Amino acid sequence: MAIHQRQLSNGMCVIVEEMDHVESASYDLVVPGGIICDEQSHVGASILLGELLGKGAGELDSRALSEAFDGAGIRHGEGVGMDRFTLSGSLVANKIDRALELLVSMVRRPHLPEEDIEPIQSILLQDFEALKDSPARRSMVELSKRFYPAPYNRASLGEPEGIRATNRAVIERMHANWFRPNCAILSIAGKIDALRVFAMVEELFGSWQGKTAELPVFGARPQPDYFHISEQSAQSQIVLAAPSVRFSDELYYEGKLVASILGASMFGRLFVEVREKRGLCYSVYARHSSSNNYGTMSAYVGTTPERAQESMDVLLGELSRLPGTVTQDELERSRTNLKASLVMGEESPASRAGSNASDWWLLKRVRGLAEIQAGIDAVSLDSIEEFLRRYPFAPCSVLTLGSTELNVLPRVVGKGV
Amino acid sequence: MKSGYKKTKLSNGLTIIGESNPSNVSTAIGFFVKTGARDETPNESGVSHFLEHMMFKGTTRRSALDINFALGSLGAQANAFTSEENTVYYAAVIPERFVEMQELLSDMLRPALDPHEFNTEKKVILEEIALYQDRPQFFLFENAFKDYFGEHPAGNSVLGSHESVSALTHEQMRDYFTRRYSPANVVLAATGNFSWDSFVADAERFCGSWRGETVSRTCSRYSRASKSRTFKKQNLNQAHAVLIAEGTSAQDSERYPMALLATMLGDSSGSRMYWELIDTGLAESAGVDSDERDGAGCFSAYVSTSPDRLEQVLEIAKGVLASPLEFTEQDLDRAKSKIIARIVLDGELPMGRLMALGLEWTYRKESTPLAVVIERIREVTRAEIEAALHRFTLSAWSEYLLLPG
Repeated sequence: MAIHQRQLSNGMCVIVEEMDHVESASYDLVVPGGIICDEQSHVGASILLGELLGKGAGELDSRALSEAFDGAGIRHGEGVGMDRFTLSGSLVANKIDRALELLVSMVRRPHLPEEDIEPIQSILLQDFEALKDSPARRSMVELSKRFYPAPYNRASLGEPEGIRATNRAVIERMHANWFRPNCAILSIAGKIDALRVFAMVEELFGSWQGKTAELPVFGARPQPDYFHISEQSAQSQIVLAAPSVRFSDELYYEGKLVASILGASMFGRLFVEVREKRGLCYSVYARHSSSNNYGTMSAYVGTTPERAQESMDVLLGELSRLPGTVTQDELERSRTNLKASLVMGEESPASRAGSNASDWWLLKRVRGLAEIQAGIDAVSLDSIEEFLRRYPFAPCSVLTLGSTELNVLPRVVGKGV
Repeated sequence: MKSGYKKTKLSNGLTIIGESNPSNVSTAIGFFVKTGARDETPNESGVSHFLEHMMFKGTTRRSALDINFALGSLGAQANAFTSEENTVYYAAVIPERFVEMQELLSDMLRPALDPHEFNTEKKVILEEIALYQDRPQFFLFENAFKDYFGEHPAGNSVLGSHESVSALTHEQMRDYFTRRYSPANVVLAATGNFSWDSFVADAERFCGSWRGETVSRTCSRYSRASKSRTFKKQNLNQAHAVLIAEGTSAQDSERYPMALLATMLGDSSGSRMYWELIDTGLAESAGVDSDERDGAGCFSAYVSTSPDRLEQVLEIAKGVLASPLEFTEQDLDRAKSKIIARIVLDGELPMGRLMALGLEWTYRKESTPLAVVIERIREVTRAEIEAALHRFTLSAWSEYLLLPG
C-alpha cells in the first residue's frame, strides 16, 4: 500500500492510496462550508445545497444523474457537516473514471434546480417532526445547543425558519462561496493506479478556480449548567459534555484512550458499572470528538425514569473517580483495542479515503499507520493523569430529557464552589 | 490467493465452513445458530434474545468481566444479534489473535447461565424494550409483523414484551438452550486471513465435546389474509405505515427476481417510490423490501410522512405497488448494477463475507461463490419477474398504520 499526495496549481489537494488486495475504490471530496457557515437567517441552507447537488449536473438532469450513478453501481452520498461538505462514493474499481466525471459535474456544474427546492424543504421540515419522536437523538441536539458557542451550537439539521427562508439565490451564493478549490481535498483509495488517477483529476479539476470564504471563529463556551426538558417517553435520556483536548494538541491520544477506558466499548468502566453490574440501562457510552477548534468528552445513558437518578449518580461517580485510579491493565486493553481497529480499518477503501481526507483537513498532511501507532504507544499512566488534570470532567454541562428532573449537585456544573 | 470455500462437519454435528484469503488484514469468525423468536413457545417469548445477552455473562471458566476484558485485550470488533430466526455471534480480529478469539467465542457459546447474572441482565433487557418503545418505526414493524403472520411463528417478537421477559425463569432459559444450541443446529464460519486446517483442528479442540439432540423447526407456509390495523401513540409527530404481502422465502427460486423488483420499486434512491414520494417532498422516507425468511417470506413497503399527508402518500405508494411491471430494460439493468456493486463491496471485507456465507448456509445448506451469484443476478429477465409475480401476486396487501393518538 502506498499513499501519494499532490497539490494542483489551484490549491486542491489530491491524495491517492493504492490498495492491491481489494476490488473496489472509494472517494471523499471535502470542501469547507456547512451548518456553521450558514447565514444567520438561513441556518440549514447548506443541507439544501447538499441535497440539490444530486439533482442534476453538467449534461445530466436530476433523473439522468441518478441513473448514471445507479447504472455504474456507484453508491454515493453528499453529506453536510458542521464545517464541511463531504461528497463520497464507493464503487467497483473499474468505474473510477465514471465516478470522477460525475463528481466533478456535481462540484463544478450543479444545476441547483429551482423546482426541487420546495420538495427538499418539505422533507427537511419533516425531519424536525421526526426528531421530536426520537428522544435520544433530540437530547444530543439540545445539549449541543447549550454547550457550544454560536454558531457551533447549531443543530445538524438546521433550523425550520432558516430552511423555509432559503431560496435559490441563497443556495447559489453559498455554492459560489464554498465550492472552491483552494481548500478542497479529494481523497481516493482502492484498486487504482495513482498516476492515471492524478492525470484524470488534473484534467477534470485543474481549471477550477477561486477561493473559499473563512470558517467562523470558535468563541467562548457558555457557562456549564444543568438543563432539563420535560417529555413523556419510555426512557429518560441523560447526556453530559465537558471540554477536552483538540485534535492537533499534545495529549490527543490520551483523550482517545481515556474515552475508551471510560466507556467506548464493552470493557469500559461505564459499561461495566452502569450496565453490567447494576443493569441500569441498555445503552451507555463515552465519546471523544475533536477538531482544530475544540475537543469534547461526552457521555450518554438512556434508562427508565424510576432508575434515572441512580444512573446519573453512578455515571457522575465514575467520572469523578477516574483521576488516580486508571490501571496499567485498563490502559493496555484500550491501547490494543484502538490499535487493532486502526489496523483493521486499513483494509477498507472507504475507511482509508475518509481517514486520509480527515487527516489532511485537520493537519495538512496524512499520518501514516506507524505514526499513529507510535502516538498511541507513547501514552503512559503518567500522561493519562496529566490529561485528567488538564481536562477534568468537571465542571460539565448536563442535560436530561424525560418525565422527571433529576438532582444534580451544583458543583458538578461548576456552581456554588 | 483465495483458498475458496471449504466445509466439514465434526462428529457431534457442528458444521464448519470457511473461505480463506491471505491478502486480508483481518479475520472474521462467527457462530450462526439457527434459532430465534420463531422457535420460542408463547410463554418463553424473548428468551432467544435474552440468551444471546447471557452468552457474554460468564462461562464455567470465565466471569462476565473476564469476557469483556478478553474481548478488549484481543482488540476484537465483536458483537451478536438475534432475529426472528437466527442468533449470530461474531468478531473480527487481526490474524495473530484469531486462535484466542476462536477459543473465547467457543467458550462463550457454552454459558454458565448464572442466576445472579440472569437477574441483573433481565433489567438490561427490560431497558432495551423501553428504548425501542421510543422508536416509532420499530414499534410499528414489530406489531405489524406479529399481526400479519398471525398464528405463524415467523411474526414472533424478538425482544418479547415487558411482561413475558419479566416472567422468564432461569430454568426456562436453560431448557431453551439445551433444546436449541445443539451442535447440529450451529454453523461455525470463518473468512479472511486464516489457515483452514488449524481452524478445523481448533474447532475440534474447543467444540468437539459439545453434545445435543436433533433440532427441528416447523416451516409451514402461513395463511394469507388481507388485514388492516391502526396503532396509536401519544405525542407522536410523524405518521408511519407499512404494507405487507406474501413474498419469497429464503429458499424459493424467485428470490432474485423479487429482490430486483423490490430495488426497482423502492430502493432508497432512483426507485419508483423515490421519484414519486421522496423527490416530490411528500414523504420523509419510503422503501420496499423483499423480506426472505425460512420457508416463508413477505414483500413490504414502508412510508413515513406528516399525518395530514398520509392518505395521499399511501395512495401513491399503493399505485406504484399495483403496477409492478411498469419498468424498462434499462431500469432492470440499473437495479442489477446496484445489487451487484453492493455484493462486491460488502463481500470484499471479511466481516461482510462472513455474514453472507454463514446465513446462506443456515438457510440453504449451500455456498455460492460471489461470481456465481453475480452471474445469476445478471441473467434475470423480465419474463422471470413476470413468472415470479404469477406466484406472488402482490395483490392482497395488509395495511398497518401508526398515528398520533
